Amino acid sequence: MPKRERSLQSLPPDAGPTAEPTADDLLALVARGDEAAFERLYDVVSGAVFGLIRRVLRDQAQSEEVFQEVMLEVWRTATRFDPGRGSANTWIMTMTHRRAVDRVRSAQAATHREEHVARLDPARPFDEVSEQVSGRLEQRQVRRCLSFLTGLQRESVLLAYYQGYSYPEVASLLGIPLGTVKTRMRDGLIRLRDCMGVTG
Amino acid sequence: MRTTSADLHTLTGAYAVNALTDTERAAFETHLLRCESCATEVAELTATATRLGLAVEFAPPPQLRARVLAAAAETRQLSPHTPRLPRARGWGRAGGLLAAACLVAVAFVTVQRTGSDDDRLAQLSSQYGRFSDLLSTPDARLVTATGAGGATGTAVVSPSRDELLFLSRDLPALPGDRVYQLWLIDAHGPRGAGVLASPTAPHVTDGVSGAQKAALTVEPAGGSQDPTSDPVVVIALT
Repeated sequence: MPKRERSLQSLPPDAGPTAEPTADDLLALVARGDEAAFERLYDVVSGAVFGLIRRVLRDQAQSEEVFQEVMLEVWRTATRFDPGRGSANTWIMTMTHRRAVDRVRSAQAATHREEHVARLDPARPFDEVSEQVSGRLEQRQVRRCLSFLTGLQRESVLLAYYQGYSYPEVASLLGIPLGTVKTRMRDGLIRLRDCMGVTG
Repeated sequence: MRTTSADLHTLTGAYAVNALTDTERAAFETHLLRCESCATEVAELTATATRLGLAVEFAPPPQLRARVLAAAAETRQLSPHTPRLPRARGWGRAGGLLAAACLVAVAFVTVQRTGSDDDRLAQLSSQYGRFSDLLSTPDARLVTATGAGGATGTAVVSPSRDELLFLSRDLPALPGDRVYQLWLIDAHGPRGAGVLASPTAPHVTDGVSGAQKAALTVEPAGGSQDPTSDPVVVIALT
C-alpha cells in the first residue's frame, strides 16, 4: 500500500514548525489517520462547509445533518485526496456542494409538484444571493469580481451554486434557452476565474 | 446522450457549479477522461466556484464538533487508491467502464421516468453519489448477466472499496408481499446482501471480498435468512 509514501510527499517541504497549518497540510495528516489533525481541520473548514450547506439547503436541521455527513466523509475519504488535482479547500468544498445539491434534488423529487413550482418562484430576488456575499475582507474580492459579470452570467452562476438549481431550472427561471444558460455559466465562471486569478 | 463533444465542452461551467442532471454528469465525466483541456478548465472553474463557497461562511452549532470528532474516531478510513493511471494512456479501460455504466444509468433513468415515480428518482439521485465514487475506483469492474426470464443484472465490483453496486433491468414487478433479495455466494454458500428497495432501485452492498457470484431471488417481504427460490439472475464476479 503506497499510502504513507504518498502522504509524506504531499507535505510541503517548507512548512516550518511555527507556520499556521493550511487545510492542505492538515488534510495530508488526516489521510494518515491523524485524529488531532482532523480536529484542527474541522476548526479551519467547518465554517465554510456549514455556511455553504446552509446557503443551499436553508433548512437548519437538514443543514446540520448534511454537514455532519460531509465532515465525516472528509475524514473517511481523505486517503483519496490527490493534491496534484487541486487544493484541499476545493476538494472539500466540491464535496460539500455536491452533497448539498444532492439533498436538495432528492428532497425536491420527493415533494409535491406545487412545492416544486413554488421553489421556482421568479419573485425570489436574486439580489438576496449577492447580498449574502458581503462584508469580510476576503469576501470583498468575490463581490467585486461578481460585479464584472453580465446580469445573466451572474444570475446563472449564483442560482446554480447558491440555490442548487440545475441548468434546465435556471433556464426556465430566467426564461432563456438551455444552450444560453450553459454558455453563460461557463463565461461567467471564466470571468470570475480571471478576475480572482485562480489557477486551478 | 446525443450530445456531441463540442456541446460537452461547453458544459465545464455547469459541471463546476453542479448544475448538470445526473445522466449528463456521468456523460461529461466520461468525456473528461479523454479531454485534457476540459479537465484543466474544470479544475480552474471548480476552484473558482470554491471561492463562492468560501464567501458564505457560517459557524455550525458548537455541539456538532464533538459529535463529528466522535463519529470520526469510530469510522474506518478508506484504503488509499492504488496509483492513478496516467490520464492520457489509462482512460481506455476506465473510459469503457464509465461509458458502460453510463449506459446502464441512462437505462435506469429511462425506466424510472417512465414509471413516473418520484420516490424512485429521489432514491436514484441519492444513490448516485456513491455510484459515481464507486465507478471512479481504479479497480472497479463491471459484469453483466441475463437470467432465464430475460431480466438483466449488472454488478460494479470494487475490491479495494469492498463494495458492489447492483443494477437490474426488466425485472418483473412483484406482489406486495414479495421482494427481490440479493445474495453473495462464496465457498461457504450464499449470504444475504440486502433487499432491493424496488425492482428498479440500484442497490449497494459491502463485504464482497471472497464472493464468487451474486444472485437475485424472490423472497417474502423483509427478506430471508437463506434463499427460498431459484435465482432470477446469477452474475459471476470472478
